[in-house]
Amino acid sequence: MHEVDVVVIGGGPAGMAAAISAYESGIEDVWLLERDYWVGGILPQCIHDGFGNFVFGEMLTGSEYAQRYINKLRETGVKVRPNTMVLKIDQNREITAVNPSDGLIEVKAKTIILSMGCRERTRYQVLIPGSRPAGIYTAGVIQRYINIEGLMPGKKVVILGSGDVGMIMARRLTLEGAKVKGVYEITKTPGGLTRNVVQCLEDYNIPLHLSHTITNITGRYRVEGVTVAEVDSELRPIKETERYVPCDTVVLSVGLIPENELSKMAGVEIEEKTKGPTVDEQMQTSVPGIFACGNVVNVYDLVDDVSESAERAGKGVAASIGGKLERRKTPIRVKTGRNVNYIVPQIIRNKNLNESTRFYFRVKETEKSVGVVVSANGDKLLEKRERIVRPPEMVRINVPPDTLDKIKGDELTIDVEERKK
Amino acid sequence: MNDKNPRVIKKIQKTFAKMSFPNIEVSLEGDVVHLEGSVDSWDDVVRLGYQAGKFKGVGEIVNNVKVKGIVPKKEARQKKKLTTKIYPPKLPKKADVVVVGGGVVGCCIARELSRYNLEVVLLEKEWDVGMGASKANSAQVHTGIGEDSGTLKKELCAKSWPMYEKLTEELDVPYLRNGLLVVMTKDTFSGKMPSFVGNFLSKYLIPPFVVRKGKIVGDKPRVVKRKELLEMEPNLTPRALVGVFHPGYALVCPFRLTIALAENAVQNGAKVFLDTEVTGVLVEDKKVKGVVTNRGMIEASFVINAAGVFSDDVAAMAGAKEFTIHPRKGVILLFDKEMESYITHQVSLLKFPRDPHTKGGAVLMTVDGNINWGPSAVEIPDKNGREVSKEEIDWVFEKYSSALPNFPKSSIIKFFSGIRAPTYKEDFYIKPAKNVRGFVNVAGIQSPGLTAAPAIAELALDILREQGLEMEEKEDFNPVREGIPIFEKLSSEKKREQIEQNPLYGKIVCRCEHVTEGEIVDAIHSPLPAVTVDAVKYRTRAGSGRCQAGFCGPRVARILARELGISEEEVMQKGDGSNLFMKSKVRKRGGKHA
Ligand SMILES: Cc1cc2nc3c(=O)[nH]c(=O)nc-3n(C[C@H](O)[C@H](O)[C@H](O)COP(=O)(O)OP(=O)(O)OC[C@H]3O[C@@H](n4cnc5c(N)ncnc54)[C@H](O)[C@@H]3O)c2cc1C
Ligand SMILES: Cc1cc2nc3c(=O)[nH]c(=O)nc-3n(C[C@H](O)[C@H](O)[C@H](O)COP(=O)(O)OP(=O)(O)OC[C@H]3O[C@@H](n4cnc5c(N)ncnc54)[C@H](O)[C@@H]3O)c2cc1C
Repeated sequence: MHEVDVVVIGGGPAGMAAAISAYESGIEDVWLLERDYWVGGILPQCIHDGFGNFVFGEMLTGSEYAQRYINKLRETGVKVRPNTMVLKIDQNREITAVNPSDGLIEVKAKTIILSMGCRERTRYQVLIPGSRPAGIYTAGVIQRYINIEGLMPGKKVVILGSGDVGMIMARRLTLEGAKVKGVYEITKTPGGLTRNVVQCLEDYNIPLHLSHTITNITGRYRVEGVTVAEVDSELRPIKETERYVPCDTVVLSVGLIPENELSKMAGVEIEEKTKGPTVDEQMQTSVPGIFACGNVVNVYDLVDDVSESAERAGKGVAASIGGKLERRKTPIRVKTGRNVNYIVPQIIRNKNLNESTRFYFRVKETEKSVGVVVSANGDKLLEKRERIVRPPEMVRINVPPDTLDKIKGDELTIDVEERKK
Repeated sequence: MNDKNPRVIKKIQKTFAKMSFPNIEVSLEGDVVHLEGSVDSWDDVVRLGYQAGKFKGVGEIVNNVKVKGIVPKKEARQKKKLTTKIYPPKLPKKADVVVVGGGVVGCCIARELSRYNLEVVLLEKEWDVGMGASKANSAQVHTGIGEDSGTLKKELCAKSWPMYEKLTEELDVPYLRNGLLVVMTKDTFSGKMPSFVGNFLSKYLIPPFVVRKGKIVGDKPRVVKRKELLEMEPNLTPRALVGVFHPGYALVCPFRLTIALAENAVQNGAKVFLDTEVTGVLVEDKKVKGVVTNRGMIEASFVINAAGVFSDDVAAMAGAKEFTIHPRKGVILLFDKEMESYITHQVSLLKFPRDPHTKGGAVLMTVDGNINWGPSAVEIPDKNGREVSKEEIDWVFEKYSSALPNFPKSSIIKFFSGIRAPTYKEDFYIKPAKNVRGFVNVAGIQSPGLTAAPAIAELALDILREQGLEMEEKEDFNPVREGIPIFEKLSSEKKREQIEQNPLYGKIVCRCEHVTEGEIVDAIHSPLPAVTVDAVKYRTRAGSGRCQAGFCGPRVARILARELGISEEEVMQKGDGSNLFMKSKVRKRGGKHA
């Protein structure tokens, strides 16, 4: 059994940034375990631009963004082990992993950082009926096929769901010579960022059908077509509007779920809304010594936010190992107020922090001209104006340490309030 | 046509007239009733078939009634030739016995035949065995309590279930004997009966009756009072009153069983040919002479028809259509392993009146730990009609929610359907063809056909003997087949050893089920090679977890291409035209890694 100070599980942008940050905060004994044969996570397959606007002030491709962290990682003494799959973690922070060269690896970690990212929801989770032929893929999977493996999954494509990955792949498929017959979105609004609606669909004349869904998939061996229909206000398909669209491929972009099998094994508490671990301002989970960051915690919109959460986690483990954290007598629970769906982090456990805590949250409904209000015990602590808030776009608000320290009770609330003109 | 018994015909015609189908032609051949004509709906076709079967003296029904205006779909199969480094081998010119159909029944028969000094050839039209009903079922090893007495189904099921322990051990197939709870609830008697009467019947009269049913088939059932019942299954509906526990009930992995049977047959000298469809049967002088396939002809004096839902079509090729199969679809929902410990025994709620055409379904689990619910039962015209509709998913979920009212729908990871192959007499039809010597129909193998397969095979061999096949036992028959090691289930010590022997066992390919590259490569090079992505999945579970091959799909495809010596574009998910990728001009960027 090896003994290690910090074991980071998952070498995506979150894992890399966390490992670097822990190392730079003075912890030298850091392992980074990654099951794929490269580090970088999802990024190497993201060859479009739009990464790093906040962190680097530039629009990079995913692969470029990853490369910058890989370069930094090389300058540290972090031990990177690719091709290494973590199979098990337990409450005592004992980790079992496997790879072809070392065989079975058993490690006792002082601290663990979970950064396993997220996975895509499948057709079965969104219950698309019909037959079960080849040719049904999730957007991230075809992204990997096309951009990394050099394989073309199909020629005539229908896309379900207007998540970012789906829209980006609509454009990518078109550029590779496929015909994208349309993007069908069950809700009234696009699921992804506005910039992607414009740059990936409109610019390529790919029709976006809002309030539509796929009601059936046909084809015995390979997809032959889908039936699409408009939905009513309760998202139920309207029979009379059903239409058959011939195609050989169905691409799904119907949401991502944090990959928390290992977290659950370790006994970490999971939030119902985010489907990720409950974390505090250090990104520590409910199990002492186990931290989490990136998309395993909550599906962030931007990789910049992922890196930010990871940096915080890296500093968190360093502070925790160095015994530098000062516990509050009673932790502060972060509560969702008006028009707020969920917030990360969900709890504040420590005081005298040396930097601001950034809260990320999603609203329930689109609203224009609002104020984001942070309050405790009925006192308004902070307010920030937003021109527009939309469910697919996360809202961020920084709360300085002294503001947090002022809170006497055990609750903090974030509300989105209408602003009177 | 020789109408020796016109009275039956008249009776049937009269009944049909009353049902307002005066124009259906009815004739008799031996004890087989033939129906011709046309009606408005498929339901009517099925109704007529059943009705004709109700008369005394009617052995089976050949129901050729058509639905007006609908031309039956003929599958245009686009047979693409695929030649790989390891598959397919060449068909032999001759065999002693040809088995048509590589379901659990055909494979079990082939394995039994491989005990003897015979040239045994099994032909399967798909790219793997078990692609019909044998992969898409509830996987229960029934004891036979659900079958009507006097049926061949019940007899063979009761004979088979005690054989499973040894069979699955010999073949290294997952088997779990966890027992079945038949549960009486406050809703067991619905309808007009006052609830106190229903509850009384459920609590005191039904249980001893259910116990007796179990004893008849050789099990040792016992009554379980409500308190113990809820201790055994804490998540069970609080409306439960009492249960009967049948300890003989078990679960088996149906596709791994089918594959293992085929592999063991191959190890003992039988030959299995995939992607080989029987399209004709050669008959001369009322004797079978061989079969015609898409890959050529094979001469044989004995042919077993174990073609499942297509068995009436294959029988027709030999001029031995003595029954009609009417496909009946069953939908099953499969849930995430996360829910694994939610229930631990098979649970079936008793309900009256009973649906005569399905055993009622149950809340079950697979040997791998996925809870599953189902099946439904719907008559359909299309033998390949495996589509699952939203309504069916909802129906199955609703129905079985009555057993587990708080079960989360969001944990569905997959739904699928299987097609049962009943005749109109709703019993197994295992007989030599009346007019073709050497041709044996093993048909009507609906549920509990998986369970009954071992006894069905024994019966089939007895029939072959009667038909004149000489069987001389082999001295070196080996009933033991070793499966591929399941890495995830090995102890740490064994895991280490396995990786040392073969480092590919240290490389996880399927992240959900922790399947290693070693297992996948071994599956591809097993006695019955896995040639498709699904064939790999059925042997190793790669791709059957919650992400449904999102992660491992491309990796498995690469490994297949590499091991088979084909291009990725030729890799198929499950056969004919189910290629995962299309030819394109995308430049190859990666490619070195699987
Ligand atoms: C198609 C697409 C387009 C995107 N576009 C943009 C964009 O334009 N701009 C932007 O800012 N962001 C974008 N993003 C988001 C960004 O890529 C993600 O936010 C980021 O990759 C998340 O980082 P992560 O490290 O949390 O997860 P991931 O990148 O998923 O990394 C997780 C890593 O953990 C490893 N792992 C998981 N389990 C184990 C285990 N048991 N053992 C070992 N290793 C394990 C995985 O192999 C993986 O490498 C996009 C994402 C996608 C999918
Ligand atoms: C939903 C459902 C649930 C069930 N649950 C249970 C259960 O819990 N317990 C139980 O005991 N039983 C159960 N059964 C029944 C059981 O699955 C079947 O009885 C059994 O699998 C039948 O096996 P088979 O080999 O006869 O048919 P199949 O598995 O259908 O095999 C027939 C094979 O013949 C091949 N074939 C057809 N035509 C040709 C041709 N012309 N040339 C070459 N090959 C051909 C097909 O491709 C197929 O592989 C269930 C069935 C269903 C549908």
